[in-house]
Amino acid sequence: MFLQQLINGLTLGAVYALIALGYTMVYGILQLINFAHGEVYMLGAYLGIIILGFLTSIGFTAISLPLAIIITLVISMIFCSAYGMTIEKIAYKPLRNAPRLSPLISAIGVSIFLQNFVMLSQGATDRVFPPLLNAEGLTFLNARITYLQIFILIASVLMMVGLHLFIMKTKLGKAMRATAQDRKMASLLGIDIDQVISITFIIGSGLAAAAGVMVAMYYGLVNYFIGYVAGIKAFTAAVLGGIGSIPGAMLGGIILGLMEALGASYISSEYKDAFAFGLLIIILILKPEGLLGRRVGDRS
Amino acid sequence: MLILENIHASYGPIEALKGINIEIKEKEIVCLIGGNGAGKSTTLMTISGINRPKRGRILFEGKEIHNIPPHRIVQIGISQVPEGRRILPKLTVRENLEMGAFTRGKKETERVLPWIYEIFPVLKEREKQAGGTLSGGEQQMLAIARALMAKPKLLLLDEPSLGLAPIIAGKIFKIIREINDKGVTVLLVEQNAKAALKLSHRGYVMETGRIVMEDSAESLLNDPEVRKAYLGE
Repeated sequence: MFLQQLINGLTLGAVYALIALGYTMVYGILQLINFAHGEVYMLGAYLGIIILGFLTSIGFTAISLPLAIIITLVISMIFCSAYGMTIEKIAYKPLRNAPRLSPLISAIGVSIFLQNFVMLSQGATDRVFPPLLNAEGLTFLNARITYLQIFILIASVLMMVGLHLFIMKTKLGKAMRATAQDRKMASLLGIDIDQVISITFIIGSGLAAAAGVMVAMYYGLVNYFIGYVAGIKAFTAAVLGGIGSIPGAMLGGIILGLMEALGASYISSEYKDAFAFGLLIIILILKPEGLLGRRVGDRS
Repeated sequence: MLILENIHASYGPIEALKGINIEIKEKEIVCLIGGNGAGKSTTLMTISGINRPKRGRILFEGKEIHNIPPHRIVQIGISQVPEGRRILPKLTVRENLEMGAFTRGKKETERVLPWIYEIFPVLKEREKQAGGTLSGGEQQMLAIARALMAKPKLLLLDEPSLGLAPIIAGKIFKIIREINDKGVTVLLVEQNAKAALKLSHRGYVMETGRIVMEDSAESLLNDPEVRKAYLGE
C-alpha cells in the first residue's frame, strides 16, 4: 500500500515539478507570477489529444505507440513554447517597466482569454483521451507500476536533468542565472535580456506542455479548466520549494505529489487538496522563503 | 572616440542631465568629478544604453549609438564597471568572467583569460569560488576584469575606489593605469577627486546635471576653486 502510493505520488509529483519549473524560472527572472502558465499546460494537454488522435486515425499509433507518444510530446511542446513566448511578447513585455501589479493583472487576463478560447474552440465538455495505454505494467512487492507511470517518471527526470545541465553548463544557461541575479548588470555585460526572457518562457512553456500531455494520458481526460487547479498546485509546489529556485521547484513538486497521494490513501481522498495547501501554509509559517529559497530583498 | 552632444536625460522624474557635452579621445584617461547627485552615474548609464537620452546625440567612433540597446553597446566596444561592482554573487569567479565575455566567442574567451589572470593573479586562485565570497577589493578587481573580458575599446568606471582601504584603492588605480597603457581608453567617475585627477589626462567637473569646468587634469588639480570644492582645501 505504502509503496503503491509512493509510486503514484512520485508520478504526480514529477508532473507538478515540471509545471512548477515554469513558474519559478519566470519568477526568478522577472519577479512575475505568470498566472497564464497553468493555461499553457492545459493547451499542451489538448494538443496532446488532438495530435495523438490524429496519429491514431492514420494508423501510426498501431505501428509504434512509444514513438507516437514521443512525437506527440515534441509537437505539443514546440507549439506551447511558441505560445508561451508570444504571450510574453504581447502581454508582459509592454509592461516591463510598469508597476508590478500591472503584469499580474495582464497575466490573469491572458489566463481567462486562453480558457475561453479553448472552451469555444474545443467545447465545454470533457474530452476523453484515446485509450491507448491500459493498465499494463509491472508488479512487485504487491505494488503496481504501469508502463505509463514509468514513462512519465523517466521523461520527467530526463527533462529536469537536461534543464539542470542547460542552466549550469551552457553559456545561455549561465546568462539566465546572471539575469536572475542582477538584470541590469547582465545587460551591462552584453547579455540580451529580451532573448533570455524569451528563452525562459520557451523552456517553461515546453515543460508545462509535456506535463499536460502526460497528465492527459494518465487521467485519460481533459477539459478547458484543468489548467486552473494544476496551475495553483504547481504554484504551491514552487512556493514550497522556494520560488525562484529551480531545485526548489523540483523538490516542491515531488513533496506535493507525495503528500497528495499519501494523504488521499491514508486519511481521506476528499481532503487531498487540503493536505497540499495545508502543507503550504505550514511551510510558509515556519520557513517563508520556501525549502530551498533564499530570503531576498525586494528588488525594483 | 566618444562624443556626447548636448545630452539631456532623466533619472526617474528628475532631469539628471541638462545638456552635457563631453569628448573623449583615443588612449585617454578622462575623469568626471563632482558631488553626489551631480549626474555622473547617469552619464555612464546613458552611454551604456541603460538610460535613453531625451535629447542630444552620442557618437562612438563616428557612429550614433544613443538608440541602440545595452547589449549592442558592449558588442561595439564600450564596457562599464558600475558603482557597487555588482558581482554576480552566486556565479563563480570564472563564470563571472565568462559572462563578461558574453558577446565574444568561446575561442576569444580562452585567449583573453590568461591575459586577465596575468593582471589579476588573485582571480585565478579564486577561480572556483562564488563571486559573493570575495572581499571588497577582490570584487572590484573581478568587476574590472569582467569588463575587460569583453575586450572594450572604452572602459567606463564608476567609483572604483569606493569603500576600499586606501592601499587597495591605490592598487586599483595602478591597475587602471596599466590597462590604459595597454591601449584601453578610460572614462573614470570618482569621488576621490585627487586620486582621479592624478591618474587622468583630462577632467570634467559636473554640478547638478551640467558640466561646469573642463580642463587638463593638471590645471584642474591646481585650480583654486576645484581645490576648495573637491580636494578639501
